[in-house]
Amino acid sequence: MTPNAHKPMETGRFIKNGRFYSRVWGRLGLAILFTFAILSIFAGFFAPYDPAEQDRTKPSAPPSQIRVFDNVNGQISRPFLYEVRLTDPLFLRYEENRNNRNSIGFFVPGFRYSILGIFESDLHLFGIVEGSGKVHLLGTDALGRDRFSRLVYAVRYSLIAAPVGTLLASILGILIGLLSGYSPRIVDLTLMGAADAMLSLPALIIILAARAAFPLDLPPERAVALLITIFSTVGWAEMARLCRGLVRSLREREFVTAAKAMGAHPARILLFHILPNAMGSIITQATVMLPAFLIAEISMSFLGVGIQEPMPSLGNMLAEASDLTRLTARPFTILAPAIVIFLIVLGVRLTAYGRNMDTDVI
Amino acid sequence: MLVVVSAVAFRLLDAAGGDSLAGLSDNPNISTETIRRLRDIYGLDRPVSQRYLEWAANAAKGDFGDSISLRLPVTSLVLSRAKETFKLAALTLVIALFVSSVLAFASVRYRHWLLDSFVEICVLVTASLPVIVSSLMILAITVYLINLPAAGGLFLPAISLTPPFIAMFLAQSKRGLQTALQQDYIVSARAKGLDETTIILRHALRNALNPIITLTGLSVGALIGGSVIAETVFGLQGIGSLTVTAVRNRDIPLVMGVVVFVSFAVWVANFSAELLQIVNDRRLVDAERS
Repeated sequence: MTPNAHKPMETGRFIKNGRFYSRVWGRLGLAILFTFAILSIFAGFFAPYDPAEQDRTKPSAPPSQIRVFDNVNGQISRPFLYEVRLTDPLFLRYEENRNNRNSIGFFVPGFRYSILGIFESDLHLFGIVEGSGKVHLLGTDALGRDRFSRLVYAVRYSLIAAPVGTLLASILGILIGLLSGYSPRIVDLTLMGAADAMLSLPALIIILAARAAFPLDLPPERAVALLITIFSTVGWAEMARLCRGLVRSLREREFVTAAKAMGAHPARILLFHILPNAMGSIITQATVMLPAFLIAEISMSFLGVGIQEPMPSLGNMLAEASDLTRLTARPFTILAPAIVIFLIVLGVRLTAYGRNMDTDVI
Repeated sequence: MLVVVSAVAFRLLDAAGGDSLAGLSDNPNISTETIRRLRDIYGLDRPVSQRYLEWAANAAKGDFGDSISLRLPVTSLVLSRAKETFKLAALTLVIALFVSSVLAFASVRYRHWLLDSFVEICVLVTASLPVIVSSLMILAITVYLINLPAAGGLFLPAISLTPPFIAMFLAQSKRGLQTALQQDYIVSARAKGLDETTIILRHALRNALNPIITLTGLSVGALIGGSVIAETVFGLQGIGSLTVTAVRNRDIPLVMGVVVFVSFAVWVANFSAELLQIVNDRRLVDAERS
């Protein structure tokens, strides 16, 4: 926590001289987050292949080269690619098979998927319309799975754990903070003592320590549920501290005195008079918590103690980068998840920035 | 505080059930009798409260038991690994403080809109570069450029740890200097005809320094957290990679040792930051007395 973490920024820095507008940046941040939200909700539509489908004949294939210029008749044709063939299994070299031409089309049928568990469909944004090959925008991984499809699904899983964890941690923190701010001294001291104990440790270390208490191999749904539980048990402290401080300062204000004079119940005062006024700072704190949890989940999946294979996650996809020969051969495709992480975190920061808040809180 | 943290952690680690020996029961070559004897040796068959008291009594004497996975005393293991992480953290802080103070100084000294915007963008970008992203990118770049498995000592991991701290220090120091430069004593210093560099370095800096000291103290926790990833990626043997080993093996004595050590380190950092603030600003002492 930084000293000025919860103070709203003075408006219009960046921004001085009227060259940049924080609003524009905020909109940009929201647009980035919105894009990723759409991508994760309609993951099945954007992913051309099933993220778990393996093709052992094509391990670590390079990204497909999509061509629009036709060598045969020298004209521009619809996008197509030549299917690749593994020529050197030791060094994983591939060669294009000029006889196997595959046209790429939009809105093609493929594997079946469901959207939000309600709609079922087999329509995909793009795919092969003619030919037996496959299109791999980011190549394939060591098991021959389409990396682009895995990336799209990974965004979905990463965008579940962190936001839900943030929400639950915030609710828990708000409740404890409200209680602490409005209770007798002894309760207040106990609760804030617990919060301080929690805050005295670096979050990632406690999260990892808490993770050690549970079996390492968990089915994916339970792993996500466990991460969410750990995030909310670890994350409440800072929110509770903030909320308590807000209650302490707001309870002296006139509108609270007025409500008290009217005989309102303390719970009513807290929920309907104090909480709405504290909401701005609470949201600020939540936008600080969200990237922290996102990074925690990704780091844990990277270390193999978060979301595990075969379920794709931004973290466990990055674990491929530890293979240095593949990292040097195709740094951009291997690091695509890292770029996605950067964009998502940047989206959150820009959104927070647009609300004229500090960007200096990590 | 340490007592509360350790008791809560201990209880929590026990609550979920299962321990590092649980994995052994899947192995057909190890009889249940062996596992029972091992449990007896490590004391895992006794109630939690008893184990905690025993652990706490030994811990007070500096003995945190033996690591189950590495079969070494936890205390010496943690202390020997701490050196590497300490060097890494110190180097990271030096780089982050240097870069951010130079940029902050330049932006308040020259007050050019281009520089100003550059600093703002720097804050946003570095704040969005988690260690996992920066360390892998730096690894990729170095391996690509010099074609060497990154054995470049502590420099590369330190660089990859810096971005979030640059964001934090840069935003704070720039704002601190800007606020300080609006004070009355700056006006009088300017009226004396001092040049702007002297004003910033001799007068404004001293007032902008305290929040930076606090932040430096607070960032130690985050540094150790970040070292978990940086040390894993660059293959360093520090506290961070030790934590990973402990968690992967569900080595509870080691996890506890790391947790206690890290909370102690964080406490020491915050305490020294408070002392440094008093050295920098005598007014704090007077405020304390009155």
